[in-house]
Amino acid sequence: MNPELTSLLDRVRELAEDLDFTAVRAWKDEGTDRKAVGHMPIYVPRELIHACGMLPVGVLGAGDRLEIIRGDAYFQSYICHIPRSTIELALTGRLDVLDGMLFPSICDVIRNLSGMWRMLFPERYVRYVDVPQNFSSEVGGTFWRRELEQLWNDLAKLAGRAGGDDELRSSIAIYNENRREIRELYEARSREPWVYPASELYLVVRAGNVLPPEEHTLLLRRYRDLAAQEPGRHEQDLSRVVVVGTFCEQPPLGLLLTLERAGCSIVDDDLLLGLRWLTEEVPEDGDPLDRLTAAYLTSSCETASVYQPEGRRGGWLVESVQHNRAEGVIFCAPSFCDPALLEQPMLVEALAAEGIPHTQFKYSENTGQFAVIREQAGTFSDSIRLWSEA
Amino acid sequence: MSGNGQLFTVGVDVGSSAVKTAVVRMPTEGGEEVLALRTDRIRRRDLRKVIAEAYPLALSQAGIEAGQVAYAASTGEGELVDFRRGHFYGMTTHARGAVFLDARVRAVLDVGALHARAMRIDSRSKVLGYRMTSQCASGSGQFLENVARYLGVSLEEVGTLSCSARSPEAVSSICAVLAETDVINMVSRGIATADILKGIHQSMAGRYVKLLRAIGAAEAHVLITGGLAADAGLAEAMRESAGGDGLGMTIHTHPDSIYAGALGAALWGGFRHRVLERRAAAAANREAP
Repeated sequence: MNPELTSLLDRVRELAEDLDFTAVRAWKDEGTDRKAVGHMPIYVPRELIHACGMLPVGVLGAGDRLEIIRGDAYFQSYICHIPRSTIELALTGRLDVLDGMLFPSICDVIRNLSGMWRMLFPERYVRYVDVPQNFSSEVGGTFWRRELEQLWNDLAKLAGRAGGDDELRSSIAIYNENRREIRELYEARSREPWVYPASELYLVVRAGNVLPPEEHTLLLRRYRDLAAQEPGRHEQDLSRVVVVGTFCEQPPLGLLLTLERAGCSIVDDDLLLGLRWLTEEVPEDGDPLDRLTAAYLTSSCETASVYQPEGRRGGWLVESVQHNRAEGVIFCAPSFCDPALLEQPMLVEALAAEGIPHTQFKYSENTGQFAVIREQAGTFSDSIRLWSEA
Repeated sequence: MSGNGQLFTVGVDVGSSAVKTAVVRMPTEGGEEVLALRTDRIRRRDLRKVIAEAYPLALSQAGIEAGQVAYAASTGEGELVDFRRGHFYGMTTHARGAVFLDARVRAVLDVGALHARAMRIDSRSKVLGYRMTSQCASGSGQFLENVARYLGVSLEEVGTLSCSARSPEAVSSICAVLAETDVINMVSRGIATADILKGIHQSMAGRYVKLLRAIGAAEAHVLITGGLAADAGLAEAMRESAGGDGLGMTIHTHPDSIYAGALGAALWGGFRHRVLERRAAAAANREAP
């Protein structure tokens, strides 16, 4: 492997595994009075944080690298793993680097986590980002515009400086470029999945949670170039699958590797949705808050935590299968993830109507044994390649 | 690929103790022919290197060159097979290889170094159900290899010795650690090596027959595949255990049973090559004016 690619991949792996947020600390140390604002997975308008001169930091739990000692005391056993590892990170001081924390409305558990945060860390800025579930401009639009304005004012106060419309327009342009680069990487992966293994692509995209967007965009671009030049990444006849259910609690890297080793090429997924939530560019002119409001209403991706009118659920998944020429879908949801698991029957129904094969299993961010998943993914992969035309 | 629509395909079965490679010629009209089979023991060597070295040797044995190979497929721990075009899961390849070796097979017992897996299959080699041994190592080839080492016999001698046993000594069938302790005690008690080996085979066979019964293969034609398929003592113990159970299953081995995974991978590779060719031709037709 090209040494530059090796070193790039080593770096993004370190960033993913670093529970002390060293990169964020380093960024803060590079200037005076620099601040960082954390947020849980799924959508928050990172542009607002960036425009105030602060660093948006995606907090994705602790994966399989932290023993949960105090976090379990806050959640019942039938709750997913990410809130307890996030609490553990905070109680062990690892999130002290964050000057504020945003909790988007993913599910009740994350909403309650925002309440715990307020009680545990009263001195820090905490906000529950209540994204609208009504997508009409009169109702959802008016509400979301007001929320954004409030958040914008709060962040300006936290930063100690008022971000102006020009700064926000500039941040919108920077994030447009970042999302465009991620989209292009996903498209390239869909065309040639053997060039961009999911286990690499995931880490490269994930780095955007802790790096400034400008730096992350360059990293994405460099990875795409280097991977494309890598000799030996020849076309392979593996099963093209879409992985669904991974939008919040992240699967361990070993799980993605297991799917690949079992003969699956992941050609689309819902990993790290927050970094690519808006599927189209936000206009860089006009009133930036109006533009962000409209973008949320018209360009949000579809996922379990977003309201869909009756009968529409699953349409995006069928479209993804068709667009990416996938041969099957793997439902890969975290244990006790209400949004993912409650949505699954509706998605299955949509796939069944189109005759698209699927399989399902559950994981936890700290799952360490993948033998059963490998067995299941391997047999699924073979069944769609060998028996679909039988 | 060669002329007349026939294909050359390669299957590489990467196990935990050996790499098995098969080269197959697949004429359009059927009647596949095995051109080469080879086993390379890993013996703590760099696995990627073992695979890379075995490939040209297998091709040379088959009398073909790499450029003629239409599809090289991996199975087992296949991610280190750099030249592969596709990968198939071990269960699928053992099933296909078993039916290729013996068309009457309706259940397969794949006994590898680290686990054993029983599969019920149909005449097309489609897997209808399966069960694996648990994580306990006493049901595996690695355990048998360890015991052979304690007893100072080579793996090749194990089967013959076991078949010559007169008074098999029962061992623990639950735990590899306890079973190994049993073996050490037996040696110190002066139990004959053949009787110890037979006892171990009986213990393993009992577990495998239970697996086969659990998947509904009570009356099936069973083929043993994987590394331990060459162990005549195990096959004999299986036959005794199946018969003693009052089941109608018949236990079989084949001289090439240990290559079932590699053969299955090569055969499925040929199948996929033709599917992809058909698709490409259909797409070209659609695009033609």
